[in-house]
Amino acid sequence: MFKRVRTWLGQIGEDIRQSTDASLLSSMRFLGLLYGRIDRELPIDQALRKAWGRRLPSYVGWRHMFGGIAYLLFMVLVVTGVLLSFYYRPSVDEAYASLQYIATEVPFGWMIRDLHVWSANLIVLAILAHMARVFFTGAYRPPRETSWLVGVLLLFVVLAFGGTGYLLPWDQWAYWTSTEVMSVIGRTPVVGGAIAGLLTGDVFVSGATLSRFFALHVIVLPWAAFGLLVLHFVVVRKHGTAPPRGHVETQDAGTPFYPDHLLRMVIVSALVLAVSISLAALFPRAIGDPATPFELPEGLVSSWIVVDVSLGLFRTLGVWGFVGFSALGLLMVILPLVDRDTEKGLRRKPVVLGVGLLFFLGFLAFWAVGRQIDSVPPSVEIESRILEERAIPTPEASDVSADGDAEARQGP
Amino acid sequence: MIKPAGSFGFMLILACSFTGLSAARPAVAGTAAGTAYVQDPASSPQRYGCLICHADKRRAYQLGIHSDRGVQCHDCHGGNPTAFETPEAHGGDFRGSLGKLESLEVCSSCHADPDQMRQYGLPADQIAELRTSRHGQLLLDAGNLDAPTCSDCHDPHTTLRPDDARSGVYPTNISATCARCHDDESLMTPYGIPTGQVAEHRHSAHGIALYEDQNFAAPTCIGCHGSHAALPPNVGEISNVCGRCHVNVRRAFDLGPHGRLEGGEAPLGCTDCHSNHDTERVATERIAETCEGCHEAGGAETTLGEEVEQVLRRAASEMESADEAVEELVRRGHEVSDERFRLRAALSEFRRLETLQHTLDLEQMADVERLIASASMDIRGKAEVSAEEKWEHKLFLIPIWFFALGIVFLAGYRLRRLRSETPDVEGTL
Repeated sequence: MFKRVRTWLGQIGEDIRQSTDASLLSSMRFLGLLYGRIDRELPIDQALRKAWGRRLPSYVGWRHMFGGIAYLLFMVLVVTGVLLSFYYRPSVDEAYASLQYIATEVPFGWMIRDLHVWSANLIVLAILAHMARVFFTGAYRPPRETSWLVGVLLLFVVLAFGGTGYLLPWDQWAYWTSTEVMSVIGRTPVVGGAIAGLLTGDVFVSGATLSRFFALHVIVLPWAAFGLLVLHFVVVRKHGTAPPRGHVETQDAGTPFYPDHLLRMVIVSALVLAVSISLAALFPRAIGDPATPFELPEGLVSSWIVVDVSLGLFRTLGVWGFVGFSALGLLMVILPLVDRDTEKGLRRKPVVLGVGLLFFLGFLAFWAVGRQIDSVPPSVEIESRILEERAIPTPEASDVSADGDAEARQGP
Repeated sequence: MIKPAGSFGFMLILACSFTGLSAARPAVAGTAAGTAYVQDPASSPQRYGCLICHADKRRAYQLGIHSDRGVQCHDCHGGNPTAFETPEAHGGDFRGSLGKLESLEVCSSCHADPDQMRQYGLPADQIAELRTSRHGQLLLDAGNLDAPTCSDCHDPHTTLRPDDARSGVYPTNISATCARCHDDESLMTPYGIPTGQVAEHRHSAHGIALYEDQNFAAPTCIGCHGSHAALPPNVGEISNVCGRCHVNVRRAFDLGPHGRLEGGEAPLGCTDCHSNHDTERVATERIAETCEGCHEAGGAETTLGEEVEQVLRRAASEMESADEAVEELVRRGHEVSDERFRLRAALSEFRRLETLQHTLDLEQMADVERLIASASMDIRGKAEVSAEEKWEHKLFLIPIWFFALGIVFLAGYRLRRLRSETPDVEGTL
């Protein structure tokens, strides 16, 4: 027994001794003395050293940062989301009040909440920038098509995160924007009604919808994102970063991940975090009146980039513009199945180049248009439905004079 | 000439009437065959002779309340419903299409009878009221057939209750019913009555409240003129008519110099400032200007009007600031039930101030203004605290950027050094 204790103490002493070297991992070990024991069973330290010591091709530079930025923002969303969930209560009676409490009473609650909102916007831009880099370097082609497909799926998951999270503040803007979205989904041919019914869980957006969106937002989608992220990293690691067109393999050993690439990541991360916090402090997401299905707000104020783009599309091109742009997005998904020629550059593929340019530039253009629209009144369909319910029939509108009663009403 | 009211009734304008009168009516035919015919005219021509020729009236009749109460064609038009041939059917006491006076007589045979109306909770004095009205005077005394009778306002076949939205006497339809005659220039000119009142009413404060806000407490034509006893109120009666709804304003008005004048040397009524059919609020910025309509510009009375205007302007401005402050607090996520309560209390005081302006008592108005200003200040105080917090959030960015740029500088410096060293740098873990 005494001997075993002495061995343990010796091992701890050795861990401390090793911690005196300047490396980051040793510092971590110093912070958690038990780590030394774990590491003896599982060679984590060795694996990390190997990973960090990995060399990246020399063409990997600043423009390869967007994927990392998206991942960073995803982690920001996870952390802020967990913090928000400590206080948020997903019920019709408490959601709005808990949001008010977070924004005004919880220390730094305002920052956590608005950082969550702004990160949800910036991550869409980061993913699109990452996609654009991959697209215009032709990196979606074999053998990296799986990486592209998984990446696009991740984009859809992020969009689903935003769509489900949009309702959670439970104010009038959130409520009626979600109502409009459910209305659009419901009108999709064949499956729309079933999907809208499944998501809404009621005949209109209600507490059932709030519960479902919350469950999707904090349970289903995080697991989906986690699985897809792991898959994405694995396939990226397997096939490596695509070389630029015309790159000639040399004996160049490339640059090490640590410290060169990691330092670039640190610089970019610091800037992205500072920008996100600045946006959160300078442009907080205003809170509307509490949600009520009995009263339409005068206008719907957008707080998410995807809603802005949709607004721009609906306002300029109408519903078919929205459908067309969505089709363009789906075309981007199946691109690796169509364009598998790794020899030709994009300049010799004008159709593919056109589709890509139309998608990325179109997104930015319609975002700009959508931002100009400060707020929109609820759609005519929604408004007229409410008005119909409130309407009081008049003699002209009513059916009192059916079957030739008009004459009868003249009197004898 | 119609005989005095005792022998007549008057079909109630508010079609809420009618009745199981069949029990009180004599049987149409004493024979078994006759009894078989005298069934519901809503059923079929085989069972009710009138329908053989007048089938077009059947549906209209079915929709009306008389159908429910068992009042049948021959109860008003006479004749023999058991007959299938015109000469026989239109024989006896057949009246055919009713003229205006006949209509009045027929309707009143039931509606002026308290014993029949009591069971439905309906009044039976409409004919007496009608006699006092201008309509009644023209029709009954002068025999002028331009004046309306019962069936001009109440559809004789599809007679509906006044709370039925399809009825011509439903609150939102009643002005259109009156307009059928009162917007007819050719009909009104001989009597020196102007037209266009209905359009004016639609755009007035009352019309907006009624048609846009669906506030059925707002008056239509009959709210001020009466229905069966319709007459324009005379000058001395106007404030009484308005005061039926605007009780507090009337009280304040009576306490003021204008109210004390009333009935004396210079009678004054609400319509002098607010107009009649196109009734509107006098906008705060037009109070002094309105005073100049009667008083000399620059005189003591007009100056008093300007002071009243200033008090109301200041109070309105306080209300607006408080309202904006509450909205701003909502946008920033504050719980504002207390502020909304204070705002509502201030609004209540503001309404009292609007009422008090009719007293022209500046001291009383100043007291209420102070209450409004106090409530507004409390609300704005909380909004200012919130604005300061928002400013502190911005100050928080200074350390954030200091820290971020520090990291960028240090990492950039390290990266630069690495690049200046041998390109074959190994990871140094």
